[in-house]
Amino acid sequence: MKIVVLVKQVPDSGAERNLRAEDNTVDRASANNVINEMDEYALEEALRIQEAHGGSTVTVLTMGPERATESIRKALSMGPDGAVHVLDDALSGTDALGTSKVLAAALKRLEPDLVLCGAESTDARGQVLPHMLAERLGVAALTGARKLTVDGSQLTIERQTEEGYEVVTAATPAIVSVWDTINEPRYPSFKGIMAAKKKPVETLTLADLGVSADEAGWAGALTTVASHAKRPPRSAGVKVTDDGEGGTKLVEFLVSEKFV
Amino acid sequence: MLEGEERQALRKAVRQLAGKYGREYFMSRARAGGKTTELWREAGQLGYLGVHIPEEYGGGGGGIGDLAAVCEELATAGSPLAMIVVSPAICATVIHRFGTDEQKGKWLPGLTDGSLIFSFAITEPDAGSNSHRLTTTARRDGDDWVLNGRKTYITGVDEAHAVLVVGRTEDARTGKLKPALFVVPTTAPGIAYTRIETDLIAPEKQFALFIDEVRLPGEALVGDEDAGLMQLFAGLNPERIMAAAFATGMARYALGRAIEYAKTRQVWDVPIGGHQAISHPLAIAHINVELVRLMTQKAAHLYDHGEDYEAGEAANMAKYAAGEAAVAAIDAAIQTHGGNGLSTEYGLAAMLAAARLIRIAPVSREMILNFVAQNTLGLPRSY
Repeated sequence: MKIVVLVKQVPDSGAERNLRAEDNTVDRASANNVINEMDEYALEEALRIQEAHGGSTVTVLTMGPERATESIRKALSMGPDGAVHVLDDALSGTDALGTSKVLAAALKRLEPDLVLCGAESTDARGQVLPHMLAERLGVAALTGARKLTVDGSQLTIERQTEEGYEVVTAATPAIVSVWDTINEPRYPSFKGIMAAKKKPVETLTLADLGVSADEAGWAGALTTVASHAKRPPRSAGVKVTDDGEGGTKLVEFLVSEKFV
Repeated sequence: MLEGEERQALRKAVRQLAGKYGREYFMSRARAGGKTTELWREAGQLGYLGVHIPEEYGGGGGGIGDLAAVCEELATAGSPLAMIVVSPAICATVIHRFGTDEQKGKWLPGLTDGSLIFSFAITEPDAGSNSHRLTTTARRDGDDWVLNGRKTYITGVDEAHAVLVVGRTEDARTGKLKPALFVVPTTAPGIAYTRIETDLIAPEKQFALFIDEVRLPGEALVGDEDAGLMQLFAGLNPERIMAAAFATGMARYALGRAIEYAKTRQVWDVPIGGHQAISHPLAIAHINVELVRLMTQKAAHLYDHGEDYEAGEAANMAKYAAGEAAVAAIDAAIQTHGGNGLSTEYGLAAMLAAARLIRIAPVSREMILNFVAQNTLGLPRSY
């Protein structure tokens, strides 16, 4: 089985993140850039499928600037066979739709049986890319998986919902997006780190993919961020005064916030 | 400057792993008298404990600089694992450099993945820093060796499968005693050990070791009988490099806590870190820790390039400076915390003794000053 894992480099969600004043895009230059956390779960799932099914290959696919190489190396140190890096100055400013066009072109070239990705990225959190890619490629989209079972060409996921889960099946080729409940990603071993540098990373430009520059980047973006503002500081919480009904009020609050 | 991409990636990976366990894990085990076995095993399985051992024995093919990075990052994340200094750094290094092919095949794979733990025993009750006074002696009996002696302040004997014991053998020709290293299983008949109670809060305990007519097979002697002193130095340079890395990691952990506290603790109108009385001592401590890291990396670089003599000098200087920097950093971190600095919750007071230990072990700061005065500066021997 040929598996491609989509890996995006994002600013560390644990640190303070900013949008740039001049163009409302994520400030990546001053951020500590890391692999989108959810993508590590997708990669782990791919590696587990590879270990369980002989003859499988796992390729990382990243679209991003030069410094995304760091994230590609980190991903490779976890164990996949190689990577493809879509790198082109004209990609700056690409929106979700444009990203799906570029990644779809790269995936057509790679012809995977299975595409795995995180259910969302921690910077944009749109959750739309897997569906867009499935539409462009004409393959099934199994999204929001908390469990994935592979039986030959048959894929079964448990799709996480607010109330529980749904069982959804599809045949390959397909795209599966995963949540962080699906597994526990491995840490790169020292051998993995040493081997990562020697693994093949193919760099592709928009021209290589047959996508014209005006279909991507600022030129091709159908959506733009008009303005942005910092989240307002947290307001004071709910104060429950215990007048004999305190316990009930606490439970009501927890229920209203879906904690219980 | 000195560290390549792979070393940096290794540091990040180790930090992540140790971060999963966290300081709480380490401290709760240490306080309850437990071990940090899960972290040790996972680090071993990921190849972090054997980064410096060749691939043919299951290692990573890197150098002592890589192992020092592992040790430092674990400590920086709150889990200083002392057995790394002893088992993979000293014992595996000595066996790798001086052991026979058979010894290497037998012990290195286990020491590399952490499934096998060796302690290292040199100090004796009547021979502390003076290794010429060692009285643990091996005598030949047919093909066997029979070992007798006493060792003290030996780390982790209770968790070790064997102890690499520095003893002496009698030179058949001159009758003089010369150092020799023996692998002694902790279960060998005639071996006994008792715990030395200390006020150090660490999972690794200290032991007095009694060796009474312990019969060992011929192959228990590591390497060549005549290479004893060289073997000792081969093990002691990595020990100093690792001790420096261990100390700087602890210092970085303490400084990290202090910086966090200084940024959030507010007594008047601004966080206390806005006051120079708080920020300057932390800045000074950080500078000194960074200087030690640089010297430690230099020592490791020299050692990994086969410059044993130059590495010895640098390793001693790094270890000396590490002890001073760690004590000062933890002191500054405690002062930043005020009363909280001595609370159990913040866990910094427990680091006082641990940092103070680096000034004493594995070699005292005074012996390092003697070494530098005599060997580097060419001054007369003072003792």
